[in-house]
Amino acid sequence: MVKGRVMDKKVYWLIKKEVKSIVRSRWLMLGFIISPIFAWMFQGAFLSFVVGETTVEPSDVYMTLEDNGPLGQQLFRSIVNHSEDLRIRQIINITREEGQQLIAERRLTVWIVIPENFTYLLNTTHSCLVEFYVNTGNFRATSVAWLIRGFIYSQITRIIVVQEVQFSWETIAPERTYGHQLAIFLIMLTSVVAPAPYVSQSFAGERERHTLEALLVVPMSRLKILAAKLVAGLVITVIYTGFTVVGVLLYNLSIIIRDAGLPDEPIDYTAFYTVNLASLPLIVFCQFLVLLCAIGIGVVISCLARDQATAEAVNNFALLIPTMVIGILGFAGSISAFGGLFGTFVMLVPFTHAILILNGVLSGAATPISLMGNMLYLLGFTVATLLIGAKLFEREAIIS
Amino acid sequence: MSAHDGPVIRTEELTKVFSPGTRREVVALDSVTMEVGRGEVFGLIGPNGAGKTTLIRLLVGLLRPTRGRAWVLGKDVVTEIEDIRPRVALLPQEAGIYERLTARENLVYYGGMYGIDEDELYRRADTLLEIVGLSDRADEQVKRFSGGMKRKVLVARALIIEPEVIFLDEPTTGVDTIGARIVRNLLRRLSSEDDLTIVLTTHDMVEVSELCHRVGILNEGRLVAIGRPSELEEKYRAADLEEVFMGLVTGEGVYGGEA
Ligand SMILES: Nc1ncnc2c1ncn2[C@@H]1O[C@H](COP(=O)(O)OP(=O)(O)OP(=O)(O)O)[C@@H](O)[C@H]1O
Ligand SMILES: [Mg+2]
Repeated sequence: MVKGRVMDKKVYWLIKKEVKSIVRSRWLMLGFIISPIFAWMFQGAFLSFVVGETTVEPSDVYMTLEDNGPLGQQLFRSIVNHSEDLRIRQIINITREEGQQLIAERRLTVWIVIPENFTYLLNTTHSCLVEFYVNTGNFRATSVAWLIRGFIYSQITRIIVVQEVQFSWETIAPERTYGHQLAIFLIMLTSVVAPAPYVSQSFAGERERHTLEALLVVPMSRLKILAAKLVAGLVITVIYTGFTVVGVLLYNLSIIIRDAGLPDEPIDYTAFYTVNLASLPLIVFCQFLVLLCAIGIGVVISCLARDQATAEAVNNFALLIPTMVIGILGFAGSISAFGGLFGTFVMLVPFTHAILILNGVLSGAATPISLMGNMLYLLGFTVATLLIGAKLFEREAIIS
Repeated sequence: MSAHDGPVIRTEELTKVFSPGTRREVVALDSVTMEVGRGEVFGLIGPNGAGKTTLIRLLVGLLRPTRGRAWVLGKDVVTEIEDIRPRVALLPQEAGIYERLTARENLVYYGGMYGIDEDELYRRADTLLEIVGLSDRADEQVKRFSGGMKRKVLVARALIIEPEVIFLDEPTTGVDTIGARIVRNLLRRLSSEDDLTIVLTTHDMVEVSELCHRVGILNEGRLVAIGRPSELEEKYRAADLEEVFMGLVTGEGVYGGEA
C-alpha cells in the first residue's frame, strides 16, 4: 500500500515536470490554443463567404418523371418554366437507372424523381412523395435543391391543395451535412499533428538536450517513465480539445451570423452548415482516440529520430499525408468505397477508423458491431505503437 | 552503515564493446577490474575516448556490459539495478537541465522522482542552493543562467537525493574557480562526514590531487594504473600526477624518458 503510494508520487512529479515545461513554452501553448480556433474560424469565414457567393450561380438538375398522370406532368412543367428563378442551368432528363449510375460515379448534383404513383397517391390519399438526391458537398447543388423543394411545396399546396407533401431527401455522401464533413476533416488534420511538438520535445528533445540520461537513472521503470510522459501528453491535449470546442462554437456562430444576413435565401444555412452540438461529445471522443494514436506514433518516431527537428519532420510526414488523403476522400464520398491496394491502405490507416466512427454515428449508418470494430482497430493500433515505443525506450541506444 | 561491508563499487573484467561484430566495433572498456571503498573519493582520469563515461554508464545501469560483472553497494548492476537506483546519483557529462523550470523546481522535481517527501525536498533544495550560492535566483527559470551556474544546479540536483554513491562525470567543467572550489569543498565534506562515496572524472589534475583519495587511469579502455596519487608518483618516479598520466598515456613520460 505505502509502497504503491510512494511510486505513484514519483510519477506525479514527472508529470508535473513535463506539463510545466510545456505550459511555460509560450509558443507551443499559443499554437495549442490558436490552431484549433483558427482552423475552425477560418473554415467558418470561408464557408460563409463562399456559400454566400456561389449559391447564386445556377446548377444542373437531373430529373426523372415516372408519373404518367396529369399532376406529375404539371409539376414537371412548372419546374421547367421556373428554371431561371430556381437557378437551374439546365434540366437533364434521365432514367432511374441512369440516376443510380450517377450516384455510383459520384457525379450527381441534384436529382429529383417524381415517382410513378405520384398522381394516383395525390388523388387517393391527398399525399405525395418527391424524391431528392443531393450532393451536399456541392454548395450550389444544395442551394438549388432547397429552392426547388420550397417551390414544389408551394406549388402543390397552392394549386392542388393537399394535406401533405413529403420529400425523401437523400444525401449522396453518407454524411448528413457539410458541417459534419468539415468537422471530420478538420478534427483529423488538427488532432493528428497537435501532439507532435510535445512528443518530439519530450522524447527526442530530452535526448538532444542531454536531460534524458539523468532521467533514466531515477528509480522508476522505463515503462513508468513512458507512461508518465503519455499522461502528461494527454493532459496537454485536453487543453487542445477544449479549444477545439471553443473553435466549433465560433464556427457555428459565424454561420448563424451569415445566415441572419441572408433573409431571402430559401436554404437553411444554419441547419445545413453548422456542427450539431449534440454530436460534440462524439467529436471530442473521436478526437481523443486520434490524439492518443498520434501520440503513440509520435513516440515511436521520436525514439528512433536523431534529434527533435528530425522527429518533428518525420512525424508530420508520416501523419499528415495519410490524413490529407483520407480527409479529401471524405469530401468525395465514402472512404470505405475503395477496393484493391489503395482501399487496403486506406483501411490500414488508423485515422480512417476515426472518420468511420464519426460518419457512422452522424449518418446513423453505424451498427454497434461496426463501431466496436473501428474503435478496437484504433485502440489496438495505439497500443501496438506504444508497446513498440516502450521497447525502443528500453534500448541502450536511447541515450546516445 | 550498510548491510554489506565489502567495497561499495567492484568491477570484474568489466568490458563494453559497441556494435560488436561490425565494422564500427569499438572496445570502449576492456576488462577493467577495480574496487572503490566506502567514503572514498575516486578519480577516473584518461584522455578523450578512454572509456570513463562508458564505465560510469555501466555502473549506473544505462549500458549493459558485454562481458564481466560489476556491483554497486553489493548489488549486481545488471540483475539488481532496481535496488541500486534509489541510493545512487549521477551527474552526466554535458548534462542538460530543464530550462523552463526554476532552479528550485529542477531540484525538487528530480528529488520527487526518487520518492522523497515534499517538505523534505524543499528543505534540502534550500540548503543546497544556499551552498552553491544560488539562493537568490532559486525561483528564476534556469534558461537565463550561465553555463557554470547550470552546472552548479546540476551538482545540487544530484545531491538532493542524499545518495550513498555519486557519479560525477566532469562535475566542474565550465564552473569558475570559485564555484569549482565550492563544489570540491562540498564533496570533500560529504565524503568525510557522511561517508558519501564519490566517483568523478576530470581532466583537471589539480582537482584530482586536491580531492581524490585514489585514482584510476584509463587509456583506450584499459585500466593502466590504480592507486593513491602518492603511490603512483612513487611507483612511476614522477614529480606529480600529471607526469604519471603523461607517461602512461603517451608512453614517454618526461622523467621516465630521461632516466
Ligand atoms: N553509444 C556509443 N556507440 C558507439 N561508440 C561509443 C558510444 N559511446 C562511446 N563510444 C566510444 O567509446 C569510447 C569511449 O568513450 P567514452 O565516452 O567512454 O570516453 P571518455 O573517456 O568519457 O571521453 P571524454 O573524456 O571525451 O569524455 C570512444 O571511442 C567512443 O567513441
Ligand atoms: Mg566522457
